[in-house]
Amino acid sequence: MLAFKMLLRSWRGGQLGLMFSSLLLAVAVVTSVALLAERVERALVNESSAFLAADLVVSSSVPIDPTWLERAREMGVRTAQKASFSSMTFAGDQDMHLASIKAVESSYPLRGAVKRSSVPFATDELDIEAVESGPLPGQLWVDSRLLPLLNIKLGDTIDVGDGSFEVSHILIEEPDSGSSFSAFGARILMNWSDLPASGVIQPGSRVSYRFLIASSEGREDSFNSYADWLREQLDIHDRLITPDEAQASIASTMDKGRRFLLLAGSIGVVLAGIALALASHHFANRQLLQVALFKSWGISASRVRKLYIQQILLLGIAGSVVGLLIGWGFHQLLISVVRDWLPITLPAAGSRPWITGFATGILCLLGFTLPALWHLPTQSPLAVLRRDSQAQSLSSLMRGSLGVLTVAVLLYWYSGNLYMSMAIMLGFAITAGASIGVGLVLLRLGKSYGHWMGSIWRLALSNLWRRKKPSLIQMVGFSGAIALLMIMLVVRTSLVDEWRWQLADNAPNHFLINVAAYELDGVKTLVEQRELETAGWYSMVRGRITHLKNQMPSAVAQQGHESLHRELNLSWTSALPEGNSIVQGAWWDADSVAGNNFSEGLAPVSLEEDLLHELGLALGDTIGFSVGGLTFDAVVTSTRSLNWDSMTPNFYFLFPEGYLEDYPRTHMTSLYIPAVEKLLVNDLLRSYPTVQVIELDKIIDRIRTIVSQVTRGLEMMTLMILGCGILVMFAAVSLSMRERLQESAILRTLGSTRRLILGVQWVEFTTLGLMAGLLAALGAEFAVAMLQRFMFSLPFSWHPWLWIAGPLGGGLLVGVLGVVYSRRAVVQPPLRVLNSL
Amino acid sequence: MIEASNISKQVVTSEGRLDILEEINLSVAKGESLAIIGPSGSGKSTLLGILAGLDMPTSGSVAIDGKDITSMDEEGRAAVRAGHVGFVFQSFHLLPGLTALENVALPLELQGIDNALQTAREFLQRVGLVERLGHYPRQLSGGEQQRVALARAFACRPSILFADEPTGNLDTGTGKKINDLLFELNQEEGTTLILVTHENSLAARCSRRLELQAGRQVETLAESA
Repeated sequence: MLAFKMLLRSWRGGQLGLMFSSLLLAVAVVTSVALLAERVERALVNESSAFLAADLVVSSSVPIDPTWLERAREMGVRTAQKASFSSMTFAGDQDMHLASIKAVESSYPLRGAVKRSSVPFATDELDIEAVESGPLPGQLWVDSRLLPLLNIKLGDTIDVGDGSFEVSHILIEEPDSGSSFSAFGARILMNWSDLPASGVIQPGSRVSYRFLIASSEGREDSFNSYADWLREQLDIHDRLITPDEAQASIASTMDKGRRFLLLAGSIGVVLAGIALALASHHFANRQLLQVALFKSWGISASRVRKLYIQQILLLGIAGSVVGLLIGWGFHQLLISVVRDWLPITLPAAGSRPWITGFATGILCLLGFTLPALWHLPTQSPLAVLRRDSQAQSLSSLMRGSLGVLTVAVLLYWYSGNLYMSMAIMLGFAITAGASIGVGLVLLRLGKSYGHWMGSIWRLALSNLWRRKKPSLIQMVGFSGAIALLMIMLVVRTSLVDEWRWQLADNAPNHFLINVAAYELDGVKTLVEQRELETAGWYSMVRGRITHLKNQMPSAVAQQGHESLHRELNLSWTSALPEGNSIVQGAWWDADSVAGNNFSEGLAPVSLEEDLLHELGLALGDTIGFSVGGLTFDAVVTSTRSLNWDSMTPNFYFLFPEGYLEDYPRTHMTSLYIPAVEKLLVNDLLRSYPTVQVIELDKIIDRIRTIVSQVTRGLEMMTLMILGCGILVMFAAVSLSMRERLQESAILRTLGSTRRLILGVQWVEFTTLGLMAGLLAALGAEFAVAMLQRFMFSLPFSWHPWLWIAGPLGGGLLVGVLGVVYSRRAVVQPPLRVLNSL
Repeated sequence: MIEASNISKQVVTSEGRLDILEEINLSVAKGESLAIIGPSGSGKSTLLGILAGLDMPTSGSVAIDGKDITSMDEEGRAAVRAGHVGFVFQSFHLLPGLTALENVALPLELQGIDNALQTAREFLQRVGLVERLGHYPRQLSGGEQQRVALARAFACRPSILFADEPTGNLDTGTGKKINDLLFELNQEEGTTLILVTHENSLAARCSRRLELQAGRQVETLAESA
C-alpha cells in the first residue's frame, strides 16, 4: 500500500516525529486518566457498598412489603432485612439499660463484614475477627460498654422484651454502623428470627426498617432491572440510599481528586492538541513540494487527498494503539504509587477508557491534523516552476475554529463537566485572543523602539515583526501552554492546601457525646490528665418537633421525615460556629436576642438549610418543640450551610443563649486522641458507661492516607502534563526553525559572529516567551477563578505570583529552547546547514 | 505532438496589467527537441508551464497528441500529464526524506507500475549512480542530484520531457556532463524534449529553438545550427 510506504518514508525522514509524539501523548494522557478514574470509581462504589453493607438500601418507617422480597427471589437478587429500635435490656433484677438494637437476617451483611471479638474493649487487631454474618438465633453481639452497664460478662444471659439471650460476642463494628448521633444506647446486634418471640416490636413502636439488596455474582443486569422496578414501588415512607451517600467525606476528597485528574487530563489533551496542530502545520508546509511534484506527474487532486487521508488514518491508528499501551503503562505506574489507599484490589476497567483513548486519537487527527493538510490537494502543479504558486491553506480563522470545536467536544465528552470545559475554553480563548491582539501591538512597539537598543535587539525585534504571522502563531502556542500549566499548578496547590487540615496530625478524631452534667467535670479531668485538648464543650438538649407552622405534622409527614419522629439535638451559641455560614436571614447579635424582637416564649432558631427545605419551611415560620414534656415555640430567623468535612460538632438547630439553659442538658465535644492514648476510651467507658464515644480515628487515618496518596498521584500527573507543555513549546519553536536556520546560515556566511546570531535568537525567543507568559497569566487567572468557584468550591483568590512567574518562566524556558534548537546554525558549517534544509 | 496557437498570458499586478506572453505559436513533432531561449524575465518558464499543462494561458490553446488541454479542467490536464509528461527542474526538486532510489521509484509507484524499485535501480545505473542508491539528496553533489532527477524523469518513459534550466544550478563542467546524459537518454528513449535555457550551447543541441524577448516570439522555430 503506497500510503503506508509514504508514511514510513516520512517517518524515517523525521517529518512525523513531532506529530506522532503529540498524538501519542494525547492518547496516553487520556487513556491513563480514564483508566485510573474508572477503576478508582468502581473501587469507590465497591467500598461504599461495603459501608452500606449492600449495593442499595431502602430505608423505611414501615415493615418491608413482602412482594419486594418475593420479586427479588424470583430475579436472583440477594436481600437482607434489618430493623433498628431502642429497647430496655435487663440483667437480673437490678441492672437495666435502654439499648440501641439492630435485628438482622442471617444473610446480613450483603457487602463488607461485621467485626466481633471475644475480648471486651478489644483494640488489638489480633483479638478482632471479621465475619460475613450476624449472630445466630438466641445470641446477641453487644457493645463493650454494655458489660459494665449491666454488670455482666460474655456468656451471660440478658433479657430483651420477653426473650432471654446469650451475650456471645463483643460487637466491634458493623459495616453500616455510620456515625449517627441519634442512638445513644449501647449497640446490640440480634438475629431477625428472634424478633417475634421477644415481642419487642408492637404496633406503634418506633422502628426504622432497612431493606438491603445486592447483585448476585454475574447477575448485574438482573439487579439493575430489579432496582429500577423497586424505585417505582417506593412511597412516602421509603427512602433510597445509594453508595454515593454512604461515605460522603471520603467521597468528597476522592471526587475532588478525580476532578483534578480530569482537569489535568483535559489540559493534557488540549496541550497535545496544540502541539499536534502546530506539528501538522509544519508537516503540511514540508509536503507542499511533494504534492506539487505529484500534480505535475499527473496525479489528480482526489488521489492526493485519498493518499493523505489514508496516511492520517494509518498514523492515527498507529499513534492511538501505541498511545493506549503507553497510557496503560502510565496508569499502572500511577496505581503502584496510590495502591495503598484502597485496601481492596482495584477492579478491572471496562471498555470505556480504551474507547475514549482511541477516539481521542482519531478525533485529534480530524480536528487538528486534517484541517492543516486540507489545502494540500489544491496545491498548484505550477509550484514546481514558480515558488509563488503555493496553495492557500484554510484560513487561520477556519483552522482555529475547527481546533477550538475539537477541543470543546473533547473536553466536554471527556470530563462531562460543563463548567470545567467552559473555564478551560474561556481561559484559553482569552489567552489566544490576547496573544493575537495585544501580541501584535507589543511586536509593533518592539519594532518601533528596538532601534534605540543595540544591533542584536534591533535585528531581533524587527525579525519578529517581519515574521509576525508565525510569531503570533508561536505566541498562541507558548501562551496557551503556559496558561494551561499555570491553571493546573494553581488548582493543584489550592487543593493540597485545602486538604492540609485533613493531613494535620492533631485534627479531632473522637467525639464524646451524651456526657451528663454531673459527669462533665469527671470526664474533663480524665481528658486533662492525659494532656489532651478538646475542640470545646457544647451543651445540647434533646427535643422533638411537635408543630410546624402552628400545625401538627400529619401522620404521613411524620413517617416521611426522620426529624419528625425522633429526638433531635438542640444547641445554643452566641457566635456563629466555625465552618457554618449564613445562607438566608441574619445571625443574631446582642440586640436581636435581647428580647425586643421576640415575644415571650418565642425563641429565634437557625436551621441547616437543607433541613429547612425538607420540612417545607421558610424564613419566619414557626416550629413547636417539646423538651422533656415542656413545650415552646421558635421562629426561623436564619439558615446555615455546614461544613461536614470539619471534625467539629455540627447542629441542625441552633438557638441563642438564654432559651434552652433550663432544660435537662448533656454535653459533647470532639478531641484528638493519639494512638498511644487510645486506652483513654476504655477508661472513659468503664467509668462513665452512658457516655458515647464515636471513634473516627480509623476513618481519619484512611482519609489522610487517601489524601496523601492522591496528592502524590496528582504530582505524577502534573509531571506528565508538564511533559505535554514542553512538547507544545518544541512544536512551536520548530515552526519557524527552517527559515531561522537559513537566515542564520546566510548571516554566518556573511561573517556574522556566533554572538550576534545566537544573541538574535535568544532575544527573539525570550521576547516571545516573555509576552506569552504575561498573556498566559491573564488567561490562567480568569480560568482559575472560574474553576475555583464552580468546580472545586474553593474561595476566589488572586495569584500575584502568576504575573511574575509567567513572564519570567516563559521568557527563560522559550529562550533556552530556542537557542538550543538554533545552535546548529553556529556549530555546523553554513553550507551543511543550508544543504540539510 | 504539441500544438500551441496564439498563446497569450497576462497577469494583473498592483501596477496594472502585465503581458507575460503574447501570441505565441508553435508546433513540436514527436521525437523533436525544442529549446526555448531568451533573457531572464522573457516568459520562458511561463511558456514551458503552459505547454506542459501546469498553467493556463489567458487566451490561445495548447493541444497534446491532438487533445486540447486548455479546454480541460485541472483533473483532465492531470490525466493527460500522467504517463505522458516528465520534468527536470533547475533546482532538482528531489524529496529530501527519500533516498535516490526512492526518489526515482516514487512516480512509478504512483502510477502503479510493478517492479518500481527494479526499474528505478536500472535507471540509476544508466545515469551512473548505482553506488549511491541509498544516499539521501543532502549526501549527493549538485550534479549527482540532477542525475537522479534525470533518472526519475526518464524512468516513467514519458513521451514528452520538459526541462527548466536543467543545468542552471551547476558549474560548466558538470553542466556539460548532465547535458550529455540528457540528450543521450532522450535519444535512447525517443522522447520529445522541450527545454528552457539561456545557454546557447545547450540550445544549439536541440533540433529547433524558439527565442523570446519580453514575451514575444522573435525567432519563430528557427532551425538549429
